[in-house]
Amino acid sequence: MKTKLFARYRYSLILLRELVITDFKLRYQDSLLGYLWALLRPLFLFAIIYVVFVYILKIGKGVEHWAVALLLGMMLWSFFTEITKQGLKAIVKNGGIIRKINFPKYIIVIATSLSALINLSINLIVIVIFAISNHVPFTWNMLWVFPIIVEIYFFALGLAFLLGTLNVKYRDVDYIWDIVTQGLFYGSAIMFPITEVVKHSKKMAELLLLNPICQAISDARHLAVNPRELPMMGNLTDNILLIVAPFVITLLIFVFGALYFRARSPYFAEDI
Amino acid sequence: MSSSKPAVEVHDIKKEFYLPHHTNNSIKTAITQVFKPKEKGGNMFYALNGVSFNVEKGDFFGILGRNGSGKSTLLKIISDIYRPTSGYVKHRGKLVSFIELGVGFKPALTGRENVYLNCALLGFSKQEVDSMYDEIVEFAELEKFMDQKLKNYSSGMKVRLAFSVSIRAKADILILDEVLAVGDAAFKEKCNDYFRSLIDDKKTVILVTHSMAAVEEFCNKAVLIENGKIAFEGDAKEAAQKYLELFGNTKKAREANRLSD
Repeated sequence: MKTKLFARYRYSLILLRELVITDFKLRYQDSLLGYLWALLRPLFLFAIIYVVFVYILKIGKGVEHWAVALLLGMMLWSFFTEITKQGLKAIVKNGGIIRKINFPKYIIVIATSLSALINLSINLIVIVIFAISNHVPFTWNMLWVFPIIVEIYFFALGLAFLLGTLNVKYRDVDYIWDIVTQGLFYGSAIMFPITEVVKHSKKMAELLLLNPICQAISDARHLAVNPRELPMMGNLTDNILLIVAPFVITLLIFVFGALYFRARSPYFAEDI
Repeated sequence: MSSSKPAVEVHDIKKEFYLPHHTNNSIKTAITQVFKPKEKGGNMFYALNGVSFNVEKGDFFGILGRNGSGKSTLLKIISDIYRPTSGYVKHRGKLVSFIELGVGFKPALTGRENVYLNCALLGFSKQEVDSMYDEIVEFAELEKFMDQKLKNYSSGMKVRLAFSVSIRAKADILILDEVLAVGDAAFKEKCNDYFRSLIDDKKTVILVTHSMAAVEEFCNKAVLIENGKIAFEGDAKEAAQKYLELFGNTKKAREANRLSD
């Protein structure tokens, strides 16, 4: 049974492996620091936001370990955007191969998502070091970060399938998604604690938390960094519908994205 | 046994393409187009209009036709790259197609890295490539250049490398499109050797070409496609004759006219 399953996906696995390696080599080719950039980019972005929002504007001041929570949120966010942005372009970028060879197209999208996953794993090491040096107390609840990453992964992958398929016909999708992610970045309470929104309006915070990314990042911050001062949806409301909604949205997006991709992929070769 | 069943069955394939008068790939045009009937923005065109034939096991099967006759579309449908509008293709055994040599080559990677990538596209694992790597390089005569980036290769070197990888493909049915049309005399001779070895191994091959010499030398059967339909089906030599009668003559006739002028 196991060998049969392996035989069926053998080709996909071989191709997936080679595409991830290629993606890696190509991405940091001819750059002096090479792979270090996967680490340096979010770190510098973090440094800028830290200086502007924490140091100058004093946002998150008084929240214990806010800097760690900020870094964690930003790394999860860059994981999400990397999968959606790269996955969105992946099909069109590989049009040359798609037009000449028949192979399972989803491999291309999965390969880009795996590259993002590798980047995230390295980023997580940095966060752990940062958390230790900030004396964040260790709890078993921190392990919740892994299922949260799984949630973000499926949400992002579903979007990548959906947007990548649309992008084959309408290249506008690329630009639109760029704008949407900008909006989502501010709407997902990444640079400021969700408590800032709660102070303003609890309804508003609940609305923002319906977005799976906002919910996932708040959950991660609550469970892994500061359970006292950084709330998640469950702390704001008892309404089970609101608590479950982001997970349902994630599932729906993934299933819809994957099905839409599967339905359209036989026509990629002629549509690109 | 299924040996009596054809290796490839092509059944009543039709392929329709939409020919827009204006290219329609932004949302703005898509929205404005919604309110207009399709015919106004373009028209439908049958690249293939009811094509059927069988390729038996061990056949070296030629597909002939002029440019734009629909043979490349047919090849892509047999290779499962395009979906037919109607009809179906069945094949028995592993099918590998080469629409072009060196598909997926990345100029920014070295020759070695490209070999591994290209072999993965053919379904070879890293271990398998490891074991045949030296042979591939030797056959391509590129021993000294494998750590060189592909963008620094000459086009001849690229073709040699691609060909050397391609012939490793393990398949029961091979689909080849004009790949032999490139390269110098020595390379063409290598291609011909490869074709002969395919015949000796009793492989099923479908070959699309404009070279009637190749058809006559290698193919046992052929179809002639014209305007999306089969104009002739049968013995390869007869098909080649027919091709020359139908299309070759126009050129000859033109030349004859020119001479008489």
